[in-house]
Amino acid sequence: MSYSDTLIAFPSRRRAASASKGHPVLKFILRRIGASALVLLGASLLVYVLTINSGDPLKDLRESNSQNKQQLIDQRIALMRLDDPWYERYWDWLRGVGGCFTGNCDLGVTVNGVDVLGLTQQAASSTLRLVTVATLLAIVVGIALGILTAIRQYSGFDYSITFSAFLFFSLPVFWAATLLKEFAAIQYNNWIADGHYAPLTIVIVAVVAAFLLQAVLGGTRKRRLLTAAVVFAFVTVVLFVFNALDWWRNPMFGVGGVLVTSLAAGVLVTSLVAGIRNRRALYAALTTAVVGTLSYLVFAQPLFNSPSWLLLAGLFVLAVLVSVGIGAAWGGYARKQAMLITGITGVITSLVVVVDILIVHWSGFLGIKSRPISTIGSQTPNFTGDFWEQVLDKGTQILLPTILLTLVSVASYSRYTRSSMLETLNQDYVRTGRSKGLSEREVIVKHAFRNALIPITTIIAFDFAGIIGGAIITEQVFGWKGMGALFQDGLNAVDPAPVMAFFLVTGIAAVLMNLLADIAYAALDPRIRR
Amino acid sequence: MSDIRNSNPGGEDYEPQVTASGVDAVGLAAGGSADPLPGEDKSYSQGQLVARRFFRHRAALTSMIVLGIIIVVAFTSIGVGDIPGWWPKDYRLQYDKIGDGAPTWEYPFGQDTGGKDYFALVMRGTQFSLIIAFAVGIISTIVGTLIGALAGFYRGWLESILMRVTDVFIVIPLLVIAAVLGKTASSWGILGLALVLGLVTWTSLARLVRGEVLSLRERDFVLAAQAVGTGPWRIITRHVLPNAVGVIIVSATLSISAAILLETSLSFLGFGVQAPDTSLGTLISDYQAAFATRPWLFWWPGLMILTIALCVNFIGDGLRDAFDPRQNRTKD
Amino acid sequence: MTTLDISASGPATATGDAVLAFEDLTVTFKTEFGDVHAVKGIDLEVRPGEVVALVGESGSGKSVTSMTALGLLPRNARVGGTIRVGDKEVGALDGRGLRNMRGNDVAMVFQEPMTALNPVLTIGDQLTEGLQLHGIAYGKQATARAAELLAMVGIPEPERRLKQYPHELSGGQRQRVVIAMAIACDPKVIIADEPTTALDVTVQADILDLLRSLKDKLNTGILLITHNMGVVADMADRVAVMLKGDLVETGTADQVLNHPRHDYTKRLLAAVPHLGSGPGQFGDVAPVEAAAEDLPALDLNNLVIEYHRLGKPTFRAVDDVSLSVAQGEIVGLVGESGSGKSTIAKCALGLIPAASGSVSILGTGFGKLRGKELKALRKRIGVVFQDPASSLNPRLPIGDVIAEPLVVHKEGDERSRRRRVLELLDAVELPRSVYNRYPHELSGGQRQRVSIARALTLDPELLVADEPTSALDVSVQANVLKMFTSLQERYKFACLFVSHDLAVIDLLAHRVVVLQNGRIVEQGPREEVLHHPREEYTQRLIAAAPVPEPLEQRRRREARHALLNKLGEDIAELHVDDDYERPTPRQDEGGNSSGLGGLLGGGS
Repeated sequence: MSYSDTLIAFPSRRRAASASKGHPVLKFILRRIGASALVLLGASLLVYVLTINSGDPLKDLRESNSQNKQQLIDQRIALMRLDDPWYERYWDWLRGVGGCFTGNCDLGVTVNGVDVLGLTQQAASSTLRLVTVATLLAIVVGIALGILTAIRQYSGFDYSITFSAFLFFSLPVFWAATLLKEFAAIQYNNWIADGHYAPLTIVIVAVVAAFLLQAVLGGTRKRRLLTAAVVFAFVTVVLFVFNALDWWRNPMFGVGGVLVTSLAAGVLVTSLVAGIRNRRALYAALTTAVVGTLSYLVFAQPLFNSPSWLLLAGLFVLAVLVSVGIGAAWGGYARKQAMLITGITGVITSLVVVVDILIVHWSGFLGIKSRPISTIGSQTPNFTGDFWEQVLDKGTQILLPTILLTLVSVASYSRYTRSSMLETLNQDYVRTGRSKGLSEREVIVKHAFRNALIPITTIIAFDFAGIIGGAIITEQVFGWKGMGALFQDGLNAVDPAPVMAFFLVTGIAAVLMNLLADIAYAALDPRIRR
Repeated sequence: MSDIRNSNPGGEDYEPQVTASGVDAVGLAAGGSADPLPGEDKSYSQGQLVARRFFRHRAALTSMIVLGIIIVVAFTSIGVGDIPGWWPKDYRLQYDKIGDGAPTWEYPFGQDTGGKDYFALVMRGTQFSLIIAFAVGIISTIVGTLIGALAGFYRGWLESILMRVTDVFIVIPLLVIAAVLGKTASSWGILGLALVLGLVTWTSLARLVRGEVLSLRERDFVLAAQAVGTGPWRIITRHVLPNAVGVIIVSATLSISAAILLETSLSFLGFGVQAPDTSLGTLISDYQAAFATRPWLFWWPGLMILTIALCVNFIGDGLRDAFDPRQNRTKD
Repeated sequence: MTTLDISASGPATATGDAVLAFEDLTVTFKTEFGDVHAVKGIDLEVRPGEVVALVGESGSGKSVTSMTALGLLPRNARVGGTIRVGDKEVGALDGRGLRNMRGNDVAMVFQEPMTALNPVLTIGDQLTEGLQLHGIAYGKQATARAAELLAMVGIPEPERRLKQYPHELSGGQRQRVVIAMAIACDPKVIIADEPTTALDVTVQADILDLLRSLKDKLNTGILLITHNMGVVADMADRVAVMLKGDLVETGTADQVLNHPRHDYTKRLLAAVPHLGSGPGQFGDVAPVEAAAEDLPALDLNNLVIEYHRLGKPTFRAVDDVSLSVAQGEIVGLVGESGSGKSTIAKCALGLIPAASGSVSILGTGFGKLRGKELKALRKRIGVVFQDPASSLNPRLPIGDVIAEPLVVHKEGDERSRRRRVLELLDAVELPRSVYNRYPHELSGGQRQRVSIARALTLDPELLVADEPTSALDVSVQANVLKMFTSLQERYKFACLFVSHDLAVIDLLAHRVVVLQNGRIVEQGPREEVLHHPREEYTQRLIAAAPVPEPLEQRRRREARHALLNKLGEDIAELHVDDDYERPTPRQDEGGNSSGLGGLLGGGS
């Protein structure tokens, strides 16, 4: 039902897609871009008119007591061209934006005469970084939670996630932000100064972990109890050992840790995608993990001594290529599947390597910045440190706003995914799969999941504009100088240029996201493709 | 599996799982005129069935009660306008501070920095927030239903225009257009603000209703009504919209909770409710910095918003389940 | 209820032979309104190379029975008794054992081939999946084997088909794919749950031929679940009749269909319309009394209906159709899916416009009317749709539903409307107490009666009935048809009766129009068209419709095969080469989907 709902909700675009001849997807995308451009134009006009009529741009000057009041007012009237009719001003703004296509962008100047283009570039980079990271995280976590809750429908786990989801999208963001600042930043910073867990805390953490894991893994009562006991014991021991090693202040992970983690990831990915009984896929994944760890040793020198984003990106691409190659070599009859598995394992291994490097730099970072988690700003002013410490600094700055933005989106994505999964799990072809003798894993991964993703792509794209909007508040609370501040200052001063710049960035981002969703849709659903 | 759903003794579809997994409907075999009518004498309309299912949803029922209590307390305690309430203290007056103003029996929510009774202030804010939220919910539901129904039923150029207009509103982040309009309208008082917010939050409902109408208008009973010569207005109001009422009510409920959060966000940014009016959002905004020193000034309004929004969301969830027992409609 | 088993149950039926056996099977569903006993203790077995038909109407529990064999019932079901597939006892198997059994020992063919296949995976993916899972073939070998399977079930160009998606195949081809999937691991028994219900008659005949050759050539046992007595007569060796969770009668096809013992079986068989028996099966149809000079009730002239689709060439659904319905005459409009018959019905109702040509009701054209005149014209037409679930507004009580046309046309007052509704309820043989009930409280047959009552509210001169009985069980259909003929005799309305079921048309139409791909193939008096068809397409259509009598059906089948041979076409059957090697699934420990199999037999 939900799939057909989407069809009904977007009949013109979906039908158009399946209808055109020749290169249907390309044609369809071009038509969508055209339609979006028109919508953006209409929306820009609306925002412009509403903004310039939202108040008196001279209010602050009229109330001022300065001696050259009249002169200032005249100055501003000239700067903002308040004597010209609104449509001329809008037209000029539009012309300036049109200039972006020919290489000379002009987004106007603010009420203080600052060039908006420069401001926008700065602000957009920090806001989009925040929003992109949050969205990606939310997609991964939200979809994973959605699937788990759908599989464990009506379990305690399902109920708790459902309740949390409701809680998170009933949460006033700015209020939650203050709580987060207090408990995740200030308290943590106080704690890290010492870096030891009290025994009671350890027990509580272990109990919570044990409860969560047994709920996720499920099984019979006996198995659940066993899971809980093992997890409890493991977490308790590990935390006490960490305490003894002063791990939280001087953490270490090492090549051994990297190897173990990436091997585990390989096993997990294999068991999810192909089943652990598929030895070829398993060996391919394990090979990838070992090769990844070995190459970490090889590249350790440049990674630690002369890192740069370019080097990292290059190594990452290399890692993915090599991993996929390993999959192809091992693959056998299920080559594609093996390549997918090794590809994912490769990406995870790369991430583990980066995490290990960051862990090595943590104590040094603590030395420079004794209160690591910041509550204000997008980077620490006058921060000096090497490349990796800079990364850590940026990471700790972005941490809290990301958590906040992610939580709200995770809440809604997990609900969408859950209902979409439940929907597909009730379909006839799932029953066909089971009647062939497929296991639950195969039914879920191969048959249900992909079909369930189809409606979710549209919903995620749709939400993106909302997330950027939500970022305004998040930025304000965390004192980021981003798009939100640009918008807020502009609107307060009844100054259209920055408000329009904000709209331009968010509008284009939303349109791009929708386009991405359309492409994903076409990739997922062959009925649209042809 | 056949399209026939046989009626069951209780008059309900009682086997969602059974049908869903492709097993024969386990009802009674249909037998023409010999077919017995449902045993009970009482006949349930769809609305009554929905109500029965709703009251079985425990979280929704609890939320309904909690929300009811909040509404009653908010409006009776400090009174509305000139009508006095049962709470002895006035939100406008500054009282002598007891200690640093922490909650006491006398001032259960504490006192603010100037000594005002915080309970009265929070109740005042709750009143405003509730009024705005419900007004926004009603306005956006009316606008969204109207636009969605017209677009879905008439198709053609009217649909194109209406849906493009909807797209224009969707491409502007809600908070942005709400802030711009809120800044303009905040001087008109809270009802002005509510009107403006209602005029920008109808888009998702319009799309939902349009989708629902598009599928309903192809249903046989609508075709039958058309074939008999029923006019379009009667078809929309008597045959189409009553059957879309589930989508509309659920969505209206959720738009109320969205409106509460939107209003508080706007007030927090300074584009919403303006002094001397107050809302839960302005309270948090005003006392944000007090968290370290007077945490109660921060906690009460936030918890109030959270509770109201949570209750409304749960009620919406219960309504969704009640209207669609298959529980598979995606969340708006 | 007692089971009348009159089949010879000699030593040949020792349980050891059976590939599928149910012993004292009970199924109970736990629901929030208490327990529902879906199956109440039945015994049934299927032997190799045998087709056992499990017959019953909706809600009899026949599908539930079949699903227990795969262990695929929802969680709220409790299963009692024993189920044996080959030498395995289903109840005793654990999860892995069950999965190993599914597909390997017992496979399933479902009713709806579109939804039974995953829309986002290729045919090849879905076919090789089962092969690799049960360790029959891997990689390229699996692909080759899949192509071989497609060729076996008669799909041309199998290699190309493997790369296609389900939506690119026709309904019949999809069902062939589902059958190919079912035989992929050479199961001992196949359960076919209404395998042809969603298909057109000609496709149905092909699929049945295919299934028949399957049991002949591979010696597979088939449990055929169906409500269609014609299909039973065509396929079954033995028949079991199910009613409300009980088996009321079992026996050979001849015994059950020709000499039924149980009342229910007799009633069921009496309710099946019989193609070739003509009118009078369920009440007589009044002869047409209209004089030649009377205006026709419905006159379609060179009607063309087109659908405009964005970015695609216009689709012509109805092409140059001319037909007329005289006053008091019933004209049957028959054709397979996509023939445009429902489109014509909707156009005759003025619900979709004609691209060219004309539609006139009693001399008044639909084309240029607006407003009041159009409304006045619509008053003279009634309509009954197919789906009883969606043809009544769920928000209105039955009284309002039937009175609605009176309100729309502002006829009468409250009291006279009520009188009219009660009168109509009597006419359609519904109790008056239905007046205040809601549609969801009524059964399908009752709802369809309400639909008919609503159509007759304004005493129309023309009734358009679009497959009014297709969604109903046979016994309900018989009652509705009986009532329909008597109503027609009483009210003398003209009727355009759209149906895909030739037997139904045969028992009530005066004239028949046969459609194919939007064009009229043949039209004329019922006798001529249905009993002495001139056109090849009509002949085929009639030849493909099964009748509920095994011997007659066998003759018809052979006649159809002769016809197909004459036309130079293949008869659908399993293409098994002489050197066909039966796949040997790996039954060893963990052989199921073991990747080591891939290592050993991998195609790389």
